[in-house]
Amino acid sequence: MDLTPGIILSVLFWGLYAGCIYILLATGLNLIFGVMKVVNFAHGQLLMIGAYVTFTFFALSGFNPYVLLAASVPILIIIGVTIERLCFRPILGTGKLNEIFISIGLIYLLENAAALIWSDEWRFIHSPYEAITIPLGGMKVPVDYFIIIATTAAILIALYLFLKRTPLGHAIRATSQNRKGAMLVGINVERMDMLSFGIGAGLAGAAGTLWVVSGQVFNPYMGSIPAVKAFAIVIIGGLGSIPGAIAGGLILGLAENVTIFTIGGAWKDAIAFLILIIVLIFRPTGLFGEAGE
Amino acid sequence: MKAHIAVISLIVVGLVLIAGCTDEQASAEQLKIGVVASMTGPASTTGKDIWQSAQLAADEINADGGVYVRELGEKIPIRLIQGDDESTREGGQKAVSRMITQDRVDILVGGFSSAVVTAHQSIVAEHKVPYIITGASTPVITRRTDVNTSYMFHHAPTTDDSGGQTTLFINDTIRPAINARFGFPEDRPLRLAILYQDSPYGTGHQTAIKDTIERENLPITIVTEVAFKMGESDYRTVLTGIKRADPDVVYVAAFLNEQIPIETQARRDVGLNKIFTAVEPNDDPDFYKGVGRYGEYSIIQSRFSPYTVPKGPTEAASKKFVEDFATKFGGFPGMMGVATYEGVYIAAQAVENAGTLDKDAVREALANLEMPQMVEAMVNQTISFSPDFRESKFELTMEQLFWDETAGETRPKIVWPSSLKDADFVIPDWYEPGRA
Repeated sequence: MDLTPGIILSVLFWGLYAGCIYILLATGLNLIFGVMKVVNFAHGQLLMIGAYVTFTFFALSGFNPYVLLAASVPILIIIGVTIERLCFRPILGTGKLNEIFISIGLIYLLENAAALIWSDEWRFIHSPYEAITIPLGGMKVPVDYFIIIATTAAILIALYLFLKRTPLGHAIRATSQNRKGAMLVGINVERMDMLSFGIGAGLAGAAGTLWVVSGQVFNPYMGSIPAVKAFAIVIIGGLGSIPGAIAGGLILGLAENVTIFTIGGAWKDAIAFLILIIVLIFRPTGLFGEAGE
Repeated sequence: MKAHIAVISLIVVGLVLIAGCTDEQASAEQLKIGVVASMTGPASTTGKDIWQSAQLAADEINADGGVYVRELGEKIPIRLIQGDDESTREGGQKAVSRMITQDRVDILVGGFSSAVVTAHQSIVAEHKVPYIITGASTPVITRRTDVNTSYMFHHAPTTDDSGGQTTLFINDTIRPAINARFGFPEDRPLRLAILYQDSPYGTGHQTAIKDTIERENLPITIVTEVAFKMGESDYRTVLTGIKRADPDVVYVAAFLNEQIPIETQARRDVGLNKIFTAVEPNDDPDFYKGVGRYGEYSIIQSRFSPYTVPKGPTEAASKKFVEDFATKFGGFPGMMGVATYEGVYIAAQAVENAGTLDKDAVREALANLEMPQMVEAMVNQTISFSPDFRESKFELTMEQLFWDETAGETRPKIVWPSSLKDADFVIPDWYEPGRA
């Protein structure tokens, strides 16, 4: 079969879909870093918990899995807030090494807890819409992927409006831009830490739900690779920059899929770091990062 | 103060000596079998299966009085020692070292994942402990020359065995069926795509397919070979590339957590309406549940299935093993479990034949072992190890999956070899062959 426009469109479409999961994960990670300057290596495990929450509610209730975003996001926000209060707040400002070891410890803790609760077997669900397809350039694409892309866009727009149009969003942005300045004008920065960690975890939860709905398999140990990708995206896009996370996620999703198609699947993970190296050589602060961040 | 220290020191030394004596006495009266299993980590489902199956075998043997050791003039019980490899190379090295040096096991059984087993083989070789490997499938484990593997015996089909048999089945059965159905010339070569895990396991299958085609001079053209990273979950673009290569059949060398998304995404997302073949670890209840309708008409190479039993002399033993396992632990044993179950019996038989727990003598007994097949069908109906690479040889089957309304899932039927088959291979209506 020749390299038709339909085949090229397929590769780009799958890249866009992969990018959506990456964007949600990296945006949350970047929000947390932007406000708290904390690097949470256990962010991928929050995606994993989001996947399990969706799976559990789906198995118990049989609800539409997209509706279950209303369960996974709030539950992950609560988990995120709890982690911030119990693990990161006590060590904030005591050195990066403490943050790194706390988050590495969280990886093991969350993975083992998930294995204890849900067992470590691979899980999966079938979306109720998986048989519905929409023609796209010679392909018949299941409607689920359009819903996933639209849902990601809706979540990002909601996040944008929240950060730009609400007093709480303004306070989070102010804390991110200048923590001491925010404190001087009366912003409770610890509250902003808690809120941003909660929102970041909620976005990881949303990524987990979309991961499950798209028919991907998962187990307690599945979070590490997406987390590594999210870190690469954060650095590519610029530390603390949400537009950078969006652009980085899209770039990585597309680049990975073009690489798989042209060179082979074994190179999929390497391409993230190749892009990262190239970006850092030419723009050390990342695509949207600012010097000094 | 000095007197107190002296008394405490004496007590500690005494306790250590007592503990040592107890251990020595116990070791003389027990056959200690170390079971290498992934009890934690990503492969823990298989690991638990291996451990529980070993327990079932040990309990059965012990209920029958134990293992007769001529040198001791009595039957002694089996004591299983668990060695959790944590699904990692390092974990395997720790577990095997501990079992050999601290627990002083007489023999080792188990070992899942070629990568994990190859990492701890040098420790086994150094201490010369007989090891019956029942999980790893790369033939390299008893053929490598950088480590002395003479104490290691492979009781699981190698990737050469399963890759070779599947390739022969594709040529014998699928190729003529496609050519006849679509009016192609009888000698039209089959267009084969290989999608394999980027690991010794995956490359072992890839090599076996190519070697079989070359050795047997088969009319099969490999149109594309694509590797994927172990544990990958998104195959859509890889499958798009395979669609572009336009094969007749896609041979997939993947684990269950990979095979399910591969077949699902191929049929549902990419519209790759081809015959897919899966390798034996996928013949598991979770695979049927996970793949759903997208697995319909696909092929699984197997030797022990949850839902079908080859007719013949092992039929009754197979059903009994499944029932006993379900009664004791609940659930269904996998094929790594059944091989380990047999592995414990093989260990017991070797010790009985040797008449001693001496490791060199047990190794010799394993090398010369001839015991009747048990649950799995063996070549010549006998469990024995080849003189060159110490591999036992299995009778492998090919199954095709058909939809079962009652179960709401697909169920397998044996379609090859002809002596064991329950049904003929079927080309589905939705199937699209590669170009003529």
